[in-house]
Amino acid sequence: MTLTEVWNRLRDRLRRDQLTQELDEELRFHHAMLQRDQPERDARQTLGNMTSHMENSRDLWSFGWVDDLLQDIRYAARGLRSRPGFTIAVVLTLALGIGANAAIFSIVDRLLFRAPPMLAHPELTNRVYVAQSDRGREGVWPGMSYGRYLELARWTTSFAHTAAFTTQTMAVGVGDDAREMQVAAVNASFFELFDAPATIGRYFTSREDTPPNGTPVVVLSHALWQVRFGARSDAVGASLQIGPTIYTVIGVAPAGFAGLSTTLPPAVYIPISSYAATSGYQGEPGDEWWQTYHWNFAQMIAERKPGVTVAQASADLNNAYRRSYAVQRDASPEIPPVERARPRAIVASVLAERGPNASRVAKVATLVGAMAFVVLLIACANVANLLLARALRRRREIAVRLALGVSRARLLTQLLTESVLLALLGGAAGLLAAQWGGGALKSLFLPQDAATGVVRDPRTLVVAGGAALLAGLLTGLAPVWQSRRADLTNDLKAGAREGGATQHRSRTRGVLLVVQGALSVVLLVGAGLFVRSLWHARDLRLGYDVNPVLIAELNMRGVKLDSARAVSLRQQLLERARTLPGVERAALHMSVPFWKTLDGRNGIGVDLRVAGVDSVDRLGEFYLDAVSPDYFTTLGTRILRGRGIGEQDAGDAPGAMVVSEAMAKVLWPGADAIGQCVRVVTYGRTAGSTPCTYVVGVAEDIKSQSLSEDRNYHYYLSSAQFHPQQAGLFVRMHGDAGPQVETIRRALQALMPGASYVTVTPFADVIGGQMRSWRVGATVFVAFGALALLLAAIGLYSVIAYNVAQRTHEMGVRIAMGAKVGDVLGLVVGQGLRLGIAGVVIGGTIAYSGARWVKPLLFQESARDPAVYALVAAVLLAVAVVASYIPARRAARVDPNIALRAE
Amino acid sequence: MASGKRDLLPGTLDMLILRTLSVSPMHGYGIAQHIKRLSRDVLQVDEGSLYPALQRLRQRGWLKAEWRRTPNNQRARYYTITAEGREQLGQEEAGFGELIAAIQRVMRGAT
Repeated sequence: MTLTEVWNRLRDRLRRDQLTQELDEELRFHHAMLQRDQPERDARQTLGNMTSHMENSRDLWSFGWVDDLLQDIRYAARGLRSRPGFTIAVVLTLALGIGANAAIFSIVDRLLFRAPPMLAHPELTNRVYVAQSDRGREGVWPGMSYGRYLELARWTTSFAHTAAFTTQTMAVGVGDDAREMQVAAVNASFFELFDAPATIGRYFTSREDTPPNGTPVVVLSHALWQVRFGARSDAVGASLQIGPTIYTVIGVAPAGFAGLSTTLPPAVYIPISSYAATSGYQGEPGDEWWQTYHWNFAQMIAERKPGVTVAQASADLNNAYRRSYAVQRDASPEIPPVERARPRAIVASVLAERGPNASRVAKVATLVGAMAFVVLLIACANVANLLLARALRRRREIAVRLALGVSRARLLTQLLTESVLLALLGGAAGLLAAQWGGGALKSLFLPQDAATGVVRDPRTLVVAGGAALLAGLLTGLAPVWQSRRADLTNDLKAGAREGGATQHRSRTRGVLLVVQGALSVVLLVGAGLFVRSLWHARDLRLGYDVNPVLIAELNMRGVKLDSARAVSLRQQLLERARTLPGVERAALHMSVPFWKTLDGRNGIGVDLRVAGVDSVDRLGEFYLDAVSPDYFTTLGTRILRGRGIGEQDAGDAPGAMVVSEAMAKVLWPGADAIGQCVRVVTYGRTAGSTPCTYVVGVAEDIKSQSLSEDRNYHYYLSSAQFHPQQAGLFVRMHGDAGPQVETIRRALQALMPGASYVTVTPFADVIGGQMRSWRVGATVFVAFGALALLLAAIGLYSVIAYNVAQRTHEMGVRIAMGAKVGDVLGLVVGQGLRLGIAGVVIGGTIAYSGARWVKPLLFQESARDPAVYALVAAVLLAVAVVASYIPARRAARVDPNIALRAE
Repeated sequence: MASGKRDLLPGTLDMLILRTLSVSPMHGYGIAQHIKRLSRDVLQVDEGSLYPALQRLRQRGWLKAEWRRTPNNQRARYYTITAEGREQLGQEEAGFGELIAAIQRVMRGAT
């Protein structure tokens, strides 16, 4: 067929009625002329032929398979409309399966697959991580110092572009307008990685991003430009205060540009030099912020030159890093030699969640994706069962149509059309479900994300459509497979009651049920394991109370206080906080577990010297805090021996220190820690000139880095003796602290000088992040497990009920022969129970052998916990019994007279 | 089949229609009559093959159809050959000529 012909045919198809009418007229004209010229011809015969002429031509302006398909769809739609209950059941079941998949996909896609928008060469762009070993353990970090970044960039040849960047939460605006927002501080070269021309104005240049101070210019995100500046073009040139500095707007990034963020897009982009110069970092001459190796605030992004492989780039970077490390060691010989530190650079995915090692949330998301697919399979099995039952009921209809000469291929297409139509309806409903339910899921995985819903995301739509088609084909397959071996004569003869071929058919349905049961068991076991992990994590004694505590952080923003005024401000805030209603206690802190902790040695160069111990820092990490009296009671950390830091530990008193239990054990094994002398040698001083700090108490261990940590030790100094540069407040409330955040913030803010401000955060929010992966896992597994169980129960019930209905006659005979009610009940329930047991055994085996993949995601929980398996087995069997008991009761109540007569 | 009438060789109807229309636009009945007259009643095209053929040729873009008035003021659909149709006619004539010549050679050799 030529293109012209296809086109003309299509056009003819659309005006078929008109063409038919025209042909009719043409033929009438033809016959009129024939009548005139040859009156002797038999008019009836000619006219009789007309219909067949019309048919011949009609074939020309129809499209064979298109018309067949349209007819099949109409036929299927009619069939579905006539059985609304069945249709709704199928569509809802599939909607759950497809909706779950669409919702999960949109999250997994964002976390793990989709490159940041507008990145010029996503396949060539990498994040660079650095790794160093310490006492045989390798640590991997995204952050490096700016000095390190400059050397890595200078001493490599593999990259077309490199850039340093950091994302910080800073106050944007002044007064009432001030809001904490994401601020991206980036190199000028950052924008070269993207194909994103500025909407108005321009990006900054490397001249404006030069140490020491840079130029205070800012590029607005499109969103902020719209909200703050009403999308006016005169925004360029306007001023905007960010943190301590007033910036000049020079441009606006295009809509959709989000830097490298996959979750929370930055509101503004400023030169990294301007950020670093005003961040408060105070370097020595020769160790300024762009030279130091100590302030690891920058991350590195790099675009490989075309043709350079990841392996080549890694080797290149490793050489540069080792060279840089050697330079660092020349200046500070106390750091471990290259052979011990084994510095290594890692070229990893541009997506942060993929990282050098996928984050735990990302792993859970992947697992949940697999789970969503399992739910879809269960839904498919269920629908296949329903369609099978329907196909069995339509056996006679199908036999009649076959007998009338409908081709089998055509019949199969029709059955498939029906299931695909159902699946597409299910897909549409599923997308709606995903739009609503997806919001809840998204807030679990991407808590700060404000992105659009699934319905407007083309990639998710494609996946949902694909899932719907797959479901349609899978579910259609079962009835098609059945009708393949339809036995015409038998089916034509048989009434609604099942004939001889039935045994085979109910076996197929039984297999589908066992598959469903097994998959449900897998999901339920997963749910059980995650729920227990979450319980373990919740029950874990952290070493402090979380729920009643608020954290107040002070952001000085441009206000420079000398040490004495800083101390008096903190004292005022502390006293004010103690007088507020609802406040039980308050204390000063320097560190917050899981948020900002200070490794004394690596953080601020504090060296601990203890008589009889060669090198304290070989023993582990020692985390330092400087606290006010009442600290331990405020946080609920128990003092095991001695006392906490008190009023008596004032500036002029002898140095006092509280150590954690583990620290006491490791430093003075077998001896009493109380009264021991520790020399806290601060940066730039010597052990000889440092007086003793005496241990006055031993506190219980706390978790501050991870929930499963070891070899981490904590010590507490008096904030009156060790003046930290920065400090904040812990405020302990009566009862739950969450609702009182704003009252406390307002009361404290009133005391803050100038543009400085206070932020108040519930401690529970900080700790909650640690529980997130388990909470997400538990919530989603439980939701999906329950969904799977519900589907399996419905499936079991419908199959058993159907079988009972088919066997009414047999039951009647049994009862007439004297079978007891209990026998009939046992017969039917036994059938359900057998299917349930098969499901438990198979599903249990699958879960058991898959345990090692789930293990790393669990917390203090064996992936083969027998209690979980036993509980799941009990639940599934109970469901099997209940689902078959209801139809069994009906079977037992069959009146033998009616059953025997009804033929 | 009545004597004096012959079945058309397969595929030749299209050629005959195109040839007929290359003289002047005509309606379906006119085409049938024209073929019948020129073939001296040997070739009789019945409407069962004529009208589907006309539709097919139109879809291939070799003919155009439009409603006009006959000299007797009756409404009839007139068919006109297109440029592509003339090209096609040329090809078919050449092919047909070769075919006939080949058949004739075979038949002569046999007698």
